[in-house]
Amino acid sequence: MALQNLRGRVAFVFTEPDFDVDQIVGVKNIKLRDPAELAALAMQAYDPAFGSLVRPGDLLVGADNFGFGHPHYPPMIAMRHLGIAGVVAESFSPGYWRGEIAMGFPQVACPGILGFVRRWDELEVDWAGQRILNHTQGTVIACEPLSVADRQMLEAGGIVGYLHQRDRDDTRETTDGPR
Amino acid sequence: MGQTITEKILSRASGRPGLRAGDEVLARPDFVVAYDFPGYTDVIFRQMKDEFGIDRVRDPERFVLFIDHMVPAVTPQEEDLHQNTRDWGAANTVPVHERRGIGHQVAAELGYATPGAFVVHFDGHISQLGTFGTLALGVRRHLLEAFVKEKIQIKVPATTRVDLTGALQPGVMARDVFHHIVRVLGPSGCRFQVLELGGDTIASMSIEGRQAITCLAMFTGAITAIVNPDEVTLPYARARARLPLEPVSSDPDAQYAARHRIDVSTLEPVVVVPPSPANTRPLAEHLGTEVQVGYLGSCASGRLEDLRAAAQVLRGRQVKPGFQLHVVPTSQEIMQQAAAEGVLTDLIAAGAFVSSPSCDYCFGRIGVMTAGQRAVSTGTLNVRGRMGSPDSEIFIVNAAAVAAAAIEGRIADPRRYLQG
Repeated sequence: MALQNLRGRVAFVFTEPDFDVDQIVGVKNIKLRDPAELAALAMQAYDPAFGSLVRPGDLLVGADNFGFGHPHYPPMIAMRHLGIAGVVAESFSPGYWRGEIAMGFPQVACPGILGFVRRWDELEVDWAGQRILNHTQGTVIACEPLSVADRQMLEAGGIVGYLHQRDRDDTRETTDGPR
Repeated sequence: MGQTITEKILSRASGRPGLRAGDEVLARPDFVVAYDFPGYTDVIFRQMKDEFGIDRVRDPERFVLFIDHMVPAVTPQEEDLHQNTRDWGAANTVPVHERRGIGHQVAAELGYATPGAFVVHFDGHISQLGTFGTLALGVRRHLLEAFVKEKIQIKVPATTRVDLTGALQPGVMARDVFHHIVRVLGPSGCRFQVLELGGDTIASMSIEGRQAITCLAMFTGAITAIVNPDEVTLPYARARARLPLEPVSSDPDAQYAARHRIDVSTLEPVVVVPPSPANTRPLAEHLGTEVQVGYLGSCASGRLEDLRAAAQVLRGRQVKPGFQLHVVPTSQEIMQQAAAEGVLTDLIAAGAFVSSPSCDYCFGRIGVMTAGQRAVSTGTLNVRGRMGSPDSEIFIVNAAAVAAAAIEGRIADPRRYLQG
């Protein structure tokens, strides 16, 4: 199973390094659980019209060390509810990265991405080619490869699917003998 | 070419000698540690059973659970969560420790910080077991993997080595050293790496000071921190170790992603200003800022040397009327020792509000601030809303500076109270 390329517009560019994703829904809302409620609150401090502008498949772009601080899950629950398909950033904070990969939410490390996009450009993340295409500007930039485990987790849609896949692999190994 | 301590530990845990940074392997955690928290343990217990049909964990002696958040419970739902944890532990013959203190500290007291061991938790502050030469990773929801599978998939991390040199000035504590490291390396300086600490400053630093520093590794971007075992930590760790593992250390010719030497001999007390743990500043620049709340505690700093420093500042003095000083020792073992030494008596006499160990002050479940209030804190974090209203503020300082601020009702230099 190969990862499908992501293709969508840049719905927003977070230019602040060490960005604390909790700001997306506002710290006072961080304990909410309902995706629709969270989605309605998302981005109010950045672009109140965000929810009406975003389309399924759109992407977010971030700066260095995206997700720094003490990231919680609700901000990206809100983003996925709005149709956001993934995040491309200069680099990521490990805790945030692990948390979202476990949710099956694609994250792409791409040094140089901030200078490569404008808001609403159409991007394509070409996993196999380890590159990102900017279809609006007709440009290409290299992105970092995923680790084997991260790729498998995204392919399986998150940690639960990934562990089921490991179960299937283990069964095959037992049946076929060690490989 | 030699290996880092991290590469050695993962080589053993994976059964693949000679691992290098970047290798991807399946490794068997020696210990799987968690505290109960909604969305983590309750979900893991449910998914184990519902998704994977697993009623009981394999090798229950590898697992340990703590009840340290929401202690004491204030709603029936919280107590339900705890009861579910107790029931799960009993059914799985997995120990559940409650009311003994903050799990990351109690884990060390109970010997889970076995030198050379590989430990996983969902919470990144477990990094503090690195004090004892234990590789301890906080993996968030990936922790499910360790409950369902014997081995977890891991990419061997690269290591940044930081050697700290020089003796600390009076009034400068381990917290100042850590936040100075963040100032020098930046909040992403060790991203996805292990922060390995050494040098003469570390060699002469107490276990408690090392725990404060390794606890906070995540704010350098590191996935954990580690110190090679030495004569300071080995007697403590060996006496309590739960596994007969041979301690390992980095080889002299180990490969590091980067090496830094940081001279801390002239370091002055610092303050980490809101709203980010990246904002280390000289304390001197913020003297006089009015504060209404002080929190001395957390998995980073609520240990004996913190309590002693605060008591030294407060002995014979009084907390300013109206100022709320919360003192929360990190564990019962620490609290008992502080009581025996008379440290708690000094703090109580000065007007401190002393509570039993709990995580709850640190993450804003109790003792919360309203809009416009400010705290000085030895908690782990100063992001908006961490200790109450999103419009309150947290200034992170060392324990002595919390005590000094409690006297004056404003950010103050503790050193003038520590003389004589």
